[in-house]
Amino acid sequence: MAQYDFKKITVVPTGNDLIDIVLSRTQRQTPTVIHKGNAISRVRQFYMRKVKFTETNFTDKLSKTIEDFPRVEDIHPFYGDLLHVLYNKDHYKLALGQLNTARNLIKRIREDYVKLLKYGDSLYRCKSLKRAALGRMCTVTKRIGPSLAYLEHVRQHMARLPSINTGAPTILICGCPNVGKSSFLNKITRADVEVQPYAFTTKSLFVGHTDYKYLRYQVIDTPGLLDRPLEDRNIIEMCSVTALVNLHAAILFFLDLSGSCGYSISQQAALFHSIKMMFRNNPVLIVCNKTDLQTLEGLSGEDLKLVMEMKSAALKTIPGQGGEAANDQDVLLTMSTITDEGVMAVKNAACQRLLDQRSERKMKSKKMPTVLNRFHVAMPKPRDQKERPVCIPQAVLEARAEEAAHEERKTEKDIENENGGAGVYSASLRKHYILADDDWKLDILPEFLDGHNVYDFIDPDILQRVEELEREETAVEEDGGDFEMEDEDFTAEAEKDLQEIRKRKKLLIQKHRIKKSTAESRPTVPRKFDKDRKFTTERMGRQLSSLGIDPSRAIERARSRSVSRKGRKRERSVGGDGEDVMEIDGGLDNKKKLRLRSRSMSVLSQRPLGEVVPGEGFKDSAQKMKAVTMARNATKKRNKDARRGEADRVIPTLRPKHLFSGKRSIGKTDRR
Amino acid sequence: MRLEFCWFCSSKIYPGHGIQFVRNDAKIFRFCRSKCHKNFKMKRNPRKVKWTKAYRRLHGKDMTKERKRNRPERYDRNVMENTLKAIKKIDKIRHDRAADHIAQRWKPKAAKERREARKELEQSISLIKAPLAIQSQEPAITVPKIKVKAPKQQTVEDQLMEE
Repeated sequence: MAQYDFKKITVVPTGNDLIDIVLSRTQRQTPTVIHKGNAISRVRQFYMRKVKFTETNFTDKLSKTIEDFPRVEDIHPFYGDLLHVLYNKDHYKLALGQLNTARNLIKRIREDYVKLLKYGDSLYRCKSLKRAALGRMCTVTKRIGPSLAYLEHVRQHMARLPSINTGAPTILICGCPNVGKSSFLNKITRADVEVQPYAFTTKSLFVGHTDYKYLRYQVIDTPGLLDRPLEDRNIIEMCSVTALVNLHAAILFFLDLSGSCGYSISQQAALFHSIKMMFRNNPVLIVCNKTDLQTLEGLSGEDLKLVMEMKSAALKTIPGQGGEAANDQDVLLTMSTITDEGVMAVKNAACQRLLDQRSERKMKSKKMPTVLNRFHVAMPKPRDQKERPVCIPQAVLEARAEEAAHEERKTEKDIENENGGAGVYSASLRKHYILADDDWKLDILPEFLDGHNVYDFIDPDILQRVEELEREETAVEEDGGDFEMEDEDFTAEAEKDLQEIRKRKKLLIQKHRIKKSTAESRPTVPRKFDKDRKFTTERMGRQLSSLGIDPSRAIERARSRSVSRKGRKRERSVGGDGEDVMEIDGGLDNKKKLRLRSRSMSVLSQRPLGEVVPGEGFKDSAQKMKAVTMARNATKKRNKDARRGEADRVIPTLRPKHLFSGKRSIGKTDRR
Repeated sequence: MRLEFCWFCSSKIYPGHGIQFVRNDAKIFRFCRSKCHKNFKMKRNPRKVKWTKAYRRLHGKDMTKERKRNRPERYDRNVMENTLKAIKKIDKIRHDRAADHIAQRWKPKAAKERREARKELEQSISLIKAPLAIQSQEPAITVPKIKVKAPKQQTVEDQLMEE
């Protein structure tokens, strides 16, 4: 029997899709370029290749599909019947048959056309032949389109069928609708089947798995059965019938004692009797469900009789006991899925029955003796007649007794549950601390103090250390300033002098800075052309007296040396200061000196201010002075107003357009 | 909870402040504020950034930190009490010592200033007082006399002789 995996069937493409796939493959995977001028054999070869390639592809795909789909005869009869019930065996076979026919047709087309192509005489003829071949193959495929669609539908449904292992030990649950089969399945396995109050909630087979004695059991839940003849059954019921008939499993027939499923016990009994021939050799258990609503003992006499009848029928299935009521519990069980009463017992009973059956079979098989022969339990031969009972040390016995007494010890989990559960109660981790004094267990521990971590400072001898530190500190203090004081501070006078010096220095620096900054615009005039009249004897006198020197002598000397004096007798200087060059060549008189110097001096400063120069137009000195004063007064106001004069620079346009607008050809226009 | 120190500036990080960055080699970097975090991301070395404690300690501007002890002890209420009292005292001592350290740093400056002032007074006294005046007033402060060789005076006879 071939192993079929329903989930691994390849997707069946629709007719058009299949055509598209194959044709695009042909286009991509075969050479595409051919010319009229090529050798005819090449042309033929080219087109033949295309036809063959297309045919191969079609065949491959169709074959794959045909092989993937299971053959109804070959698979386990359960699946065979199930497929028939769900998809109609005939339709299924027909569809697959059509695919097969299509495959053969395509093969034939290819053979024919390849033969024709062998004798194609022109490119055009070969091309037309290839077109015809491909066209016919596509038509064939188009015709099987509906079958492909149907098969795809079937495939999708098959993939979703529950994977039932027909060889594994199985428990089958059947009964009337709404008796509690699905709830039972939910209880014993991890399956989560829908449970609802209306009938036919379960519409197909559901599988769950459960364990018993290290073996894995399959539990199959079926849709409810109604008491009808076989021909009248619908698809859903047929599913469960198929399962009943074909699977080798322990059958749990569910009985609803209360009748809340909508069917009375007599109806259920009738159902049982009608399907009991399907049971064959399978172990049967009758399970009375919903005992919370109605117990077995509380049943009326008739109902009880019916139940007993069913039981006797079930008993017949116990192997090797032929109808005797050996153990009631194995055949008739009660439970309630709501209160969980007896659920496990039912499961265990069913599993046990299956196990027993298996072992029986194995015992009966031919292999058993050979296996049995391998077992040999060795018993030691008694040496003498001395009795040697079991010896348990006293300590172990005591420990066991203590443990038994301590069974009632409260665990932390119990305490947690008492106090509100996991989210509410938080266990006190401090309970079991080992401390010198138990009062300290509940102390609140500070973590910070004054910006320090307390844990960094904890030390048993911390007080000692603090004491040491304090001693150090006091010692340092008493030591006092080990730093020698230098010489005394300044006197008040010295302080004043110092401040004066600093002020003077600052002024010098300021003046220098101004000089530096105006150096560009300031004309460099020799000292003798003293516009601001800085170099006057008054000034010198003032400065010298501020320094503390009597200036009179210096002023006298300066005045005596000054050149602007007219008719001054040259005084021969006696004593130390003979640096003046002019003194050496004593012959030059004032006028000559004047002329020598006059080149570098401006005209205005050559003469005194009020001197009347002939040609200027003034009658006398007074008039000139008046004119000078008038001129001065006239310009005074203008200067004060800081008005622009002729000599002042003029900017004709303050904001020329080319500088204040427009984009730059390169760069950013961040600033203007 | 414990107070951590910022990896960059070494200031204390109180709970609820700052960012903690865990690198792929499992080293944890804690930052007190985004300034430090951003500096770290720029890969700056705290030992070179002036305002951090690391720089200040390295360059002797602040007192170096004491190492902390990490031996776990069994809880003892008396020890805890003593510790809490001691923390205050230790804090004060530490604070005082740090202040001392900084004061020590500043001390030489006063002496230096005084020396410089003295020198300035000596050298620049001539700006406000003429040497002659000083001599007459304070014989204590003497300005060194500078001797300059005078050029020889050519007498009239000599000049006539030259011509």
